[in-house]
Amino acid sequence: MAISLKESIIVGFSDFWSRKIRSIVTIIGIVLGTMSIIVVLALMKGINKKTLEWMMERGGLSKIDIYPDWNYDNKTDAKKYFDLKELKLIRSLIPEAKYFNPQIRHWVRHSYEDKEYRASVFGVLPDFSKIEEWSAESGRFINEFDINQSNDVIVIGTKIREELFGNKDPIGEFITVHGRRLQVIGIMRHRFMKNSGIGGENALGYLNRRSFIPLSTMIHKGTGEDNIRSFSVKAQNAESAPELREKLESIILNLRHGAPVFKVESAQERAGEMAESQKTFQMIFFIISTISLLVGGIVIANIMLATIQERTREIGIRLAVGARRRDIFLQFLVQTILVTTIGGIFGIILGLSLLDIVSKYLEFELIASIEMILIALTVSAGVGFLSGIIPAIVASKLNPVETLRYE
Amino acid sequence: MSELIEVRELTKEYDMGKITVHALNGINIEIKEGEFVAIMGPSGSGKSTLMHIIGCLDAATNGDYSLNNEEVSAIKKSKLAAIRNKQIGFVFQTFNLLPHLNVQKNVELPLMYSGYNKRKRTKMAKKVLAEVGLSDRLKHKPSELSGGQRQRVAIARAIVNNPSIILADEPTGNLDTSSGKDILSIFSELHEKGHTIIIVTHDQAVAKRANRIINIVDGLIKDGNIS
Repeated sequence: MAISLKESIIVGFSDFWSRKIRSIVTIIGIVLGTMSIIVVLALMKGINKKTLEWMMERGGLSKIDIYPDWNYDNKTDAKKYFDLKELKLIRSLIPEAKYFNPQIRHWVRHSYEDKEYRASVFGVLPDFSKIEEWSAESGRFINEFDINQSNDVIVIGTKIREELFGNKDPIGEFITVHGRRLQVIGIMRHRFMKNSGIGGENALGYLNRRSFIPLSTMIHKGTGEDNIRSFSVKAQNAESAPELREKLESIILNLRHGAPVFKVESAQERAGEMAESQKTFQMIFFIISTISLLVGGIVIANIMLATIQERTREIGIRLAVGARRRDIFLQFLVQTILVTTIGGIFGIILGLSLLDIVSKYLEFELIASIEMILIALTVSAGVGFLSGIIPAIVASKLNPVETLRYE
Repeated sequence: MSELIEVRELTKEYDMGKITVHALNGINIEIKEGEFVAIMGPSGSGKSTLMHIIGCLDAATNGDYSLNNEEVSAIKKSKLAAIRNKQIGFVFQTFNLLPHLNVQKNVELPLMYSGYNKRKRTKMAKKVLAEVGLSDRLKHKPSELSGGQRQRVAIARAIVNNPSIILADEPTGNLDTSSGKDILSIFSELHEKGHTIIIVTHDQAVAKRANRIINIVDGLIKDGNIS
């Protein structure tokens, strides 16, 4: 003879229902706590997705960037740039790298007829397009022939095209860059990615304000200097990138006699580091939401204890008609878990319906998943268990005679 | 008839901090199956305490109590709950119905703890409610009933599991004379059907219905424990 779990749930439900207003007030804390868990988890998931998108937009996870470490305050005279000879040596030492692109950047005036636009011009190799996974959308990008001949050609970003040419087709036209006439051979594909945050603009807009010329043209017909401050490498795949990064780091350290004047950064590892630091944030937010749930739980425990006092006579009656202590214990525990789980369900529904609003407000995508619904549900039921267990023990330990005498 | 209840040298003390209250001071009672017994005495005489102990709601401090030839102090608590559920039915002065449950659900309560399914419970509850004349009040809340009707619900709840003993503590104490008479008639009927009935009361009119009266004064039997 026993009261079944199903019976306990039915009793719990009818208790919940017969005290509607109190039950609703009781679960508000749980509703809000669960709601914030859902929103925080969805926000985190959105940030993770955005980070990965950003990485993919910037050449994917197999990319490695080498650039001067300006934070390295050295008293040595180690050069913070490479010359062509050094780069050739480096390239020959990493045959496993799929693509290799040194680059020089200058901030210059671009002019066409009476129009002017100041922007960055980059001296690059054809591999640039492969590494960045970014090519010309009309005309063509720089090729080996341009490099060999140091051709006076230029590929421009859409913003430069817009500023200098308006609606006119620029292909084949000549523009003056830093006093040198260059023929426009291509226009880069327009880049766009919605920036996160309120009123977010094009996060990749700066790329559209760039132009590209053959590296050889820049060195031999421009300044004549071959001070190359940075270069990029693409590994065969994301998995082999960290290994290649280590190798590059030691090659470059050797070239500079152990002075770490360059940073060697793999997108794969950077993504990993970002994910790690996001995990920390995720944990902190999750803990904060859980604490708010626990506060809700303490409120519930308090209310349950008060309820037991109020229901002392009911407990006595139940004991008199044959309830065992464990039936009373189960009744109160199940009821508390039920209350918090119902609160959790409301919180999940509220949280999910808030995602769109928050998304619109932040102009940032929040992503829901089954997993986070299960987490929120488990946590709210767990809070119910924790806050229900002590009141349930108290209720089941009451003396039947005294409970019947209780007025 | 065999001895259903046998109480020997039963004492009950309440420790109230500085003083100890002696509620029962060595009670000896035998009650046979099928008897209708009234336990009488002034308030504070210990009659309610005795009823609680007989009803397995409370434990004696000293002495023996055997129910159906089983020593109650040796029975495990969960088994005592089963005894309260199946062998004993309580009727209280203040009815002790659950206010938020309707009449039928109140009567079903003991059956729930017996593990009967819903269909069986409904059937059994309706049957006993018909016996006490409340078939038309199944879905009413206790607050919608008169005192006499409430006590009839309480009786229905006490007998729904067909217990051998019905324990009633001042069952007419909160009722007017006419409702009280109705309730007593129900007890008489139950007695005729073979239930053992023990009523705690200080009302002579109630006691007259019984075939034996036990008087308790200051926690001791004054007279009446002779069959």
